[in-house]
Amino acid sequence: MKFDILIAGVGGQGVVLASRLLATAAIDAGYHVATAETIGMAQREGSVTSHVRIGDEVCGSLIPAGNADLIIGLEPAEAARNIHFLSKDGSIVVNEHAVIPSASANNTEYIPEQVIEFLKENCQETINVDFTQLAKEAGTYRAANVAMLAAAAGADLLPFDPDELWSVLEKMVPEKYRELNRKAFDMSLEKVSDIRRA
Amino acid sequence: MTAKRILMGNEAIAFGAMKAGLQVASGYPGTPSTEVMETIASHASKYGIYAEWATNEKVALETAVGAAYSGANTLVTMKQVGLNVASDPLMSLSYIGVKGSLVILVSDDPGPHSSQTEQDTRAFGHFSNIPVLDPSTPQEAYDMAKLAFKLSHEMEIPVILRTTTRVSHGCADVVTEDIEQADRDIEGYVKEPRWTIFPKLTAQRHPWLEDLQVRLSDRFSDLFSENTFNSITKGNSRIGIASSGVSSLYAKEAIKDHSETLSHFKVATIYPFPEKAALEFLSDITDLIVIEELDPYLEEQFLQLIGKHHLNVNVYGKKKGHFPVSGEYDVDAVIDGVNSSLQAMNTDFPLLNHSTPVVARENIPPLPVRPPTFCAGCMHRTVFYAFKKAAAKLKKENGKGTVFSGDIGCYTLGNAQPLNMVDTCLCMGAGISMAAGLSHTQQYQDGNYAKQVAFIGDSTFFHSGIAAMISAVYNNADITLAVLDNRTTAMTGHQPHPGIGLTAMGKPTKAIDIAEVLRSCGVELVETIGADDLGECINMAKKAIEYEGPSAVVFKGKCVGITKATGQYVIDEDKCTGCNFCVSQLGCPAIFSMSSGIPQIQDNCTGCSLCAQVCPSDAIVLREVLQ
Ligand code: SF4
Ligand code: SF4
Repeated sequence: MKFDILIAGVGGQGVVLASRLLATAAIDAGYHVATAETIGMAQREGSVTSHVRIGDEVCGSLIPAGNADLIIGLEPAEAARNIHFLSKDGSIVVNEHAVIPSASANNTEYIPEQVIEFLKENCQETINVDFTQLAKEAGTYRAANVAMLAAAAGADLLPFDPDELWSVLEKMVPEKYRELNRKAFDMSLEKVSDIRRA
Repeated sequence: MTAKRILMGNEAIAFGAMKAGLQVASGYPGTPSTEVMETIASHASKYGIYAEWATNEKVALETAVGAAYSGANTLVTMKQVGLNVASDPLMSLSYIGVKGSLVILVSDDPGPHSSQTEQDTRAFGHFSNIPVLDPSTPQEAYDMAKLAFKLSHEMEIPVILRTTTRVSHGCADVVTEDIEQADRDIEGYVKEPRWTIFPKLTAQRHPWLEDLQVRLSDRFSDLFSENTFNSITKGNSRIGIASSGVSSLYAKEAIKDHSETLSHFKVATIYPFPEKAALEFLSDITDLIVIEELDPYLEEQFLQLIGKHHLNVNVYGKKKGHFPVSGEYDVDAVIDGVNSSLQAMNTDFPLLNHSTPVVARENIPPLPVRPPTFCAGCMHRTVFYAFKKAAAKLKKENGKGTVFSGDIGCYTLGNAQPLNMVDTCLCMGAGISMAAGLSHTQQYQDGNYAKQVAFIGDSTFFHSGIAAMISAVYNNADITLAVLDNRTTAMTGHQPHPGIGLTAMGKPTKAIDIAEVLRSCGVELVETIGADDLGECINMAKKAIEYEGPSAVVFKGKCVGITKATGQYVIDEDKCTGCNFCVSQLGCPAIFSMSSGIPQIQDNCTGCSLCAQVCPSDAIVLREVLQ
């Protein structure tokens, strides 16, 4: 068994926490896991990624191009920036909510809808929801990362189910944020089951 | 009892060190090494360990050395550039050795992700004659931390445990053991001539040091037969692969379909080079592919050995251009390098395949780039902008320009557009000394520049700013120093420092006042001001620059990484004229504007009000005000 997940986002969006949660869930499920995270200078509002490799064998933490089974994009452009990691039959869970870089003179114009279209054209199994909005409704936009993990588990895109994932979250999220995260988690689960039914 | 848990490589090292009986630990934060000391500090009281953040790496090493001379088990932590700062004591220490044990954790940063250099600590081990262990996974990092203490104790020498970013900052499942209380019972310092380095002693010790290298090389060769961190797997062809550190894993994955054919020499005890084992490995190899990040260290060792023994082995690595000489490796880079070597080899061995991605990297349409920049609401943005404005005013008034010397920390990002306020940046503390150097040039003496301005953070000030400032004052350098005091070591994840009044272990301590230090260094104009009010900051910057002689301003403000947002600003669409001044001047990541229309403020606004202060139309207001 081998399952590679790439999480992409912008510094401050909770990429590292999301990857720790997945890694812990993987260990609890009895697998080896290796992660590679972006820490330091690049985190300051820059593009950040985290590689999470789950499997039976110990391997290097960086996913080779074309090997990721799942991309979790906390931000559309960051998902697209890393799509070369996605394998032929991989899936994408992407947050529709864009974080627009502060305009520096000659930056490419950013049209998030076009980016989402590009992702969908290249990956059949793309789940796109405004998870930031969903998290805001649950109580804080900061819980978008948790909502996205719930969506991935709910859509059967992870090697463990939502209950296993929640039991890890419960241990790792500080008590005072727990309820709020549970709400974002449940709302997200419901949202994906709606999408699946539709 | 053992337990399996998810640990970052750095945490694993901390646990390994504590398991090995660590008693005293000292370090200076530096990405990617920081979490080792953080983990130890947070467990220190539980296990009876003493842990501290020193003012810099030289001080950290010397502190650990002192404790080790008393027989304690000690650890010192730093990143690769920190080792340069500590190199003075290090080079002498290798002649003297230690009692107790001393492990030096140094983290390298191929890429680099967060560093000024891509330097290779394996080469530093060679240079200083100190053994280097090079783990490839967090588990190995844990196990090798223990081995490092053991070796150090046994041989009475310092040992370098060298990691790279992917080992330090990768997380994995690690099997750890129960940790006992650190033993407080150490022999204590015993006066002996061996602790005082002197030319005579150096001359005496040098042959011992050289002999030690040979003994260690043999010892490391023996470790191959035990098949632990070092290993040899034999394949049935005459092509071999040699690798070190995390590259060993990339190599293993790249050749996984050929493990029966290709031999693999994985070396984790990297310096001194395990010659005997390498010779044995080479005995049935005719073509050797060497896979390692950074310097061609392993490759050179092999080339030397092959030359020394007149072996008929071709070596493929960086030197013939088969592998990149810089940057971080991954499985794809390794596949390319192996294929390039195979092609040069004149063999019928099949080339390795890459996986096919859904979209190749080249075919990703253009996306907006996101260069790192100050967080939304960071005090540094206000101070840099204030100096920019003050300098512009002075230029208008007297026609003189200003040069801004930056330093290492979050505020290095003052170089980012649109602020563009870092004209020089070299290493920690260099901003001050370089500004001083610039001020002594003829061009400046002739009055072509208004003043040299240096920026430094609070932690860096203590690290290497003080000595630089004393030198500047003593030598009559006419510079202005801006201390960006956000009450933390922000870039590495918010460690305390001597200005805070808290130790690494969370105990209250005397806080050193930066302004007082500056006064006692002889700086005549020293001011302290909050960094919230842009107008006041501009006036203060101007006053300091205009002052004749060394001047300094300590700007106190917040790091939003550790403080709460004070509100959120919004753009009043009725008042906004769409001039985009706020966006084009500040580069705050919370504000953006599309090609047309008025700017918008995103969720990450922390309410610093800087944009409101620069808006010419008063169109930026607190959210509650608008509602
Ligand atoms: S972490 Fe703190 S100091 Fe660094 S850029 Fe952010 S606010 Fe500024
Ligand atoms: S108030 Fe303005 S400058 Fe400050 S964080 Fe918010 S958007 Fe950025």
